[in-house]
Amino acid sequence: MRTLMQRLGEDVRLKEGLHACMSCGICTAVCPAAEYFEYDPRSIVVTVQSGNEAKIRKLIESDTIWMCGQCMSCKPRCPRNNCPGLIISVLRRVSQETGAFVKSRLGRQQYLILKTIGTNILETGYCVFPASVVPETHPEQGDVWRWIYQNKEAVYERVGANLDKEGPGAMRKIDRENLNELERIFAESGGNSFFSTIVKFSRAYAKESGFTDADGEPDMEKYTDFLLNEDNDEK
Amino acid sequence: MTEKRNIAIIGAGIAGQEAASVLAGLGYKVTLLEKQERMGGMLNKWSKLFPDFSSSQQILDTVQVSANKNLSVICNADISSITKENGRFELSDNSSLKVYADLVLLATGYNLFDATLKEEYGYGVFENVITSVDFEKVHKSGKKLTTLLGKEPRRVAIIHCVGSRDAKSGNTYCSKVCCITGVKQAIEVTRMWPDCEVFNFYMDLRLYGSKYDSLYLEAQKHHKVQFIRGRLSEISERQDKGLQLKAEDTLQGRPLRMNADIVILLVGMEACEQNADLCRNNTLDLDENRFFKSKNIHYARNISTQPGIFMAGSCICPMSVNETLESSRSAAFLVDKSFRSVQVEE
Repeated sequence: MRTLMQRLGEDVRLKEGLHACMSCGICTAVCPAAEYFEYDPRSIVVTVQSGNEAKIRKLIESDTIWMCGQCMSCKPRCPRNNCPGLIISVLRRVSQETGAFVKSRLGRQQYLILKTIGTNILETGYCVFPASVVPETHPEQGDVWRWIYQNKEAVYERVGANLDKEGPGAMRKIDRENLNELERIFAESGGNSFFSTIVKFSRAYAKESGFTDADGEPDMEKYTDFLLNEDNDEK
Repeated sequence: MTEKRNIAIIGAGIAGQEAASVLAGLGYKVTLLEKQERMGGMLNKWSKLFPDFSSSQQILDTVQVSANKNLSVICNADISSITKENGRFELSDNSSLKVYADLVLLATGYNLFDATLKEEYGYGVFENVITSVDFEKVHKSGKKLTTLLGKEPRRVAIIHCVGSRDAKSGNTYCSKVCCITGVKQAIEVTRMWPDCEVFNFYMDLRLYGSKYDSLYLEAQKHHKVQFIRGRLSEISERQDKGLQLKAEDTLQGRPLRMNADIVILLVGMEACEQNADLCRNNTLDLDENRFFKSKNIHYARNISTQPGIFMAGSCICPMSVNETLESSRSAAFLVDKSFRSVQVEE
């Protein structure tokens, strides 16, 4: 079996992102996420640089790697031309592929992201489609969004969009032919197998955690509910 | 004996002058060429020297040469070309100056890193951000360091490695003398303003000299200078012209924000841009840091890759004053040895 370090090393982004770190801390100093979370990109780089399997395992099973906003502010500052943001991208991929993501609260949210953005793009052709940003599940969007959502036909027409209708214009309905093309791209590029990996590990975790139906099979609706309401224990 | 005894020295900083006096004293005909109006070079910009706070003027006075029968000094001579023809070197500037010599000694020194290139530190934009060289100027004037508005600083931050150990600046090497300069200047600030807090932001304290660590101890013990291990990511200016610094305290593993009244950037030593010109039409070479390349960095540090051209001081690599003077005497010794071996061969 490949070690985690081998898996990380196979990704070209690691070669680009990690040359050698001298632990100066400039990445953490400039990092917006580090201001809000218990989060230190420098120590992530140091852990990966150490090659210590146990520590890397702990890292990919933790919330830490999901705190990065991928803004890449670290890249232009690093005096050794490293890029912690890219190193984190690679850690995330390995966490997804090995199923380590289900061990942390932020990691488990991969399933929610897949259900929203992943489903949106294949079904509508948009990552974010107005009809799918339901106010109940997106309280962070606030009252203004609730109002827009409730009056979306009129609002989008007013701003000249062509919401979910045939023909040209912003937010138009994407026709079947183009959606088929998108599906094909996902199939060819590994997007579908990436999705099914996330689903596979999420289902296993749901079952293990007791979110099951009468037949003892994973109940993903219950699990989704759990994810939506899962508290951040670390805080 | 048709003696070959003419030596041209490029650069009349302390390295060039020290070598000139040794070689002229040995009876060689020395032409000392200086691109500036006056001799002394970069040391003219310094006030006091580490680690003993002795005056740089005292060093300048000690090494000061004056023209005599063996030594001529030409100022405003910005040599840009060295060629070898018929067994002798021809040195010329961009005008009509031509100097001929049997051997050449490079003592062209260094440049200071241009701190405006680190835009995130705001030098040249935020008035309360100064360089270590600006600080020396204030110190030399005998005045106290004040904020732009003439106020006593309550907190001063000194930033190490500005333009050094930084791939983004194109200088991956350590400039070596900045750490101890930062310790020295921290003490000087607290001597000006005993109530002022001074913080040094460093990556590694490279206090290589035998007396440097005791200065570090003194800074901490007697002057309460504080040292934070973390590289500064950026400085921003507040409405009151105060400064806000962002770094990570890497020993605590925490991001850190700090306000300071004045920031001093320890600018590193860079190779002179003219070095590349001097390498044309001969076999002189530059090393990976754009300083002159030595034939061997252990046993032939003063010997260039062009036979007959020697090197002294900080055109080889960043050096302190005492190292520069030693390097210079070592170069003079090798120049003398080279002449003698030629004569023995004849």
